[in-house]
Amino acid sequence: MTDRLTVEVVPATDGEVRLALRGDVNLAADEALAEGYAEAARANATRVVLDFADVEYINSTGIALIVRLLAEARRDHREVVALGLTDHYREIFRITRLSDYLTIAESSATSIPEETAR
Amino acid sequence: MTGPRTPAPRDESSWAKPIERLATTATGASADTVTGKRVSGPLQGFGQLWQKTFLIRVPADEHQPEAVVAHWKEHFPTFWPEGATFYAPLSGIQPGEVALLEVPPVPGSPVKMSTGIMVIYADRESFTFMTPEGHALSAWITFSAYCDGDDTVAQAQALERTADPLIELSYLFGANRANDAFWEQTLTNLARSLGVAAPVVETTKVCVDKRRQWKYIRNVRFSPAVHMATSTVMLPVRMVRRRKS
Repeated sequence: MTDRLTVEVVPATDGEVRLALRGDVNLAADEALAEGYAEAARANATRVVLDFADVEYINSTGIALIVRLLAEARRDHREVVALGLTDHYREIFRITRLSDYLTIAESSATSIPEETAR
Repeated sequence: MTGPRTPAPRDESSWAKPIERLATTATGASADTVTGKRVSGPLQGFGQLWQKTFLIRVPADEHQPEAVVAHWKEHFPTFWPEGATFYAPLSGIQPGEVALLEVPPVPGSPVKMSTGIMVIYADRESFTFMTPEGHALSAWITFSAYCDGDDTVAQAQALERTADPLIELSYLFGANRANDAFWEQTLTNLARSLGVAAPVVETTKVCVDKRRQWKYIRNVRFSPAVHMATSTVMLPVRMVRRRKS
């Protein structure tokens, strides 16, 4: 059973915007994710935090959407942080080398990053 | 006493297991240029980042998405255009498997470029390839099928950058269009195998990032263009050695 993705955009301080993701990151997530990033861009975010705490499922199409978001963020000189990933998805981010391009944080965007993007 | 077990994620078996270096069970190719290499996705490439989508439509009442994906996986090598060969791994298109490829650098060329792909993900509705270092493209290609009204849509979507400056140059001079034609022909062949007499391939291309990633200029050390040029130059030497031995 799939659970359509919703994205809550939560402005924080110092140019940080958190995208709280809830649901599945798959083909159907395209619009919600793109709109979330666009809203962060409109808020002139310098750092975008993708909060995966309420995400249970990411398939390869979903990873492609994240790859695309990362590419757009690099183009726009925005840092991207991934928050709340389970061990399983941390591993997927490593296999797919997404972790080369974002910071994987433990529980809070402001905590010390566990793995820092190179 | 043990604590409560965390249930396995529902997609766990669909993803490749972590590996440092690639290895293949595919046989029959003239060269294995993949074993020992790492995967390299669109974030690790040099050229402009393109998202390309190629799709065909088949009647949904005759072909359900899962059946289309199963058919596509099972007969994948047969849909490739003439002159290109896909050497499937022994267990087929399964997560973690590595296939070898021989593709002409330009359509019609008698010279073949040896490379490969890793199956990074496969489930009943989709499967995804990731390219290795030394491939012309740094890419992530997902093949999927889904319902759209009365149709089942079969789709190949690539997120790709050329891997190095030499290949990027070739893309500017026609290789980009040749790559599109490759996938359009593949989708046409798939549609025909599903009984569509006159398939129409819908193609969408978006340049996601126009910039070149100069930090990856060193990818040229793996470049298939350099490898092919070296092989061609060294051919007489190899022939003389072979004759002597």
